[in-house]
Amino acid sequence: MTEDLEPLRRSRPDRLLPDDPPDPEILVREKARLMMAITGTSEEVVHRRTPAIYPRLAYTDEVAALDFLTRAFGLVERRESRMEHPDGMLAWLEIGDGVVMIGRAGEEHHGLVSPLEAGAPTAMVNVYVHDIDAHYRRAESAGAQIITPLEDMFWGDRRYEALDSEGHRWHFAERLSEIQARRAAGQGRAQP
Amino acid sequence: MEVSDGAVIAESLEAPAAFGVIFDRHGSTLLRFLARRVDPSEAEDLLGDVFRIAFERRSTFELDRDSARPWLYGIAANVVAKHHRSEARRLRAVARVAADRGVEDDPADRAVAAADAGARWTRVMDALGTLPAAERQILQLVAWEELRYDEIALALGIPVGTVRSRLSRGRARLAALTEDRHVTTYEPGTACTAGGER
Repeated sequence: MTEDLEPLRRSRPDRLLPDDPPDPEILVREKARLMMAITGTSEEVVHRRTPAIYPRLAYTDEVAALDFLTRAFGLVERRESRMEHPDGMLAWLEIGDGVVMIGRAGEEHHGLVSPLEAGAPTAMVNVYVHDIDAHYRRAESAGAQIITPLEDMFWGDRRYEALDSEGHRWHFAERLSEIQARRAAGQGRAQP
Repeated sequence: MEVSDGAVIAESLEAPAAFGVIFDRHGSTLLRFLARRVDPSEAEDLLGDVFRIAFERRSTFELDRDSARPWLYGIAANVVAKHHRSEARRLRAVARVAADRGVEDDPADRAVAAADAGARWTRVMDALGTLPAAERQILQLVAWEELRYDEIALALGIPVGTVRSRLSRGRARLAALTEDRHVTTYEPGTACTAGGER
């Protein structure tokens, strides 16, 4: 119908450099500026930089993965950074001061495969969380497959391991010293 | 299911901070639109302009619409139109990348000499730059943004019929400007005479 537009279509700048997202920090920064303009506050906006190293995990269904990771593992999406393409979505998820990026698996997406396709996990993401026991209960009740149960380890961590919606392996831990300090401070149970 | 953009904007009339959700949902799409059309370094500032204008004009948004995206595209298209120098620079930069990269991407290009293919890409972008702004705008919204005709009509505030007629005029003009002057096919043993070479 519009084959004559094909050269034009292919000349789209970001088609020439496929899957090359603009810096998501631009969106975080501009959202903060907009909110300042809207609410009229001159509050300095706290904006954490993307860490020097952050992995990208691949999924055959990255939308379902986003739902699972936020629901079961308590990751928080930087919603304003989400990139929606007709052939897949990219999202940046934070927990603590860490960031993971999730996107679709496939040849055209940096050749990454999901554990679903590989038949085995190919990476493990290690995360320190606040209140590991509450985190564990949340993950379990959201249907995460627990691989190793909660246990105190000799190196000073309390940890468990779980698989996400497509079998990426996650290792969640909290330092025993922090758990003890929290108990000593009489806080008891903190929020997840 | 998420609430519609119309409902979010309705809420923002009372509680302005709710408008942040509109940025969350469409900021990255509009940033990419702007980065295609102006110098990427300017796209960031223009993104802020687009959303501040949108916020100020939110009472004019038709609240029964599910998506604010066409409306935001319309505001962004106006903002871009005020930066035609930057737009012209962007087109030239795209032409250069296209000339370099087009050869490997396009099977049709492989049939002709690399220099010819590169020249053709430059010609497409040059031609685009010389089209009347209204026609270029629609060609780019169709080819680069993949918007539907009804979305373009909403964005630009013109009837769908006008979208169609401008699109077909733009296509005809683009074809006239780029055809005829380049080698479309090359068969070994025959002279490359299609349209004459420059």
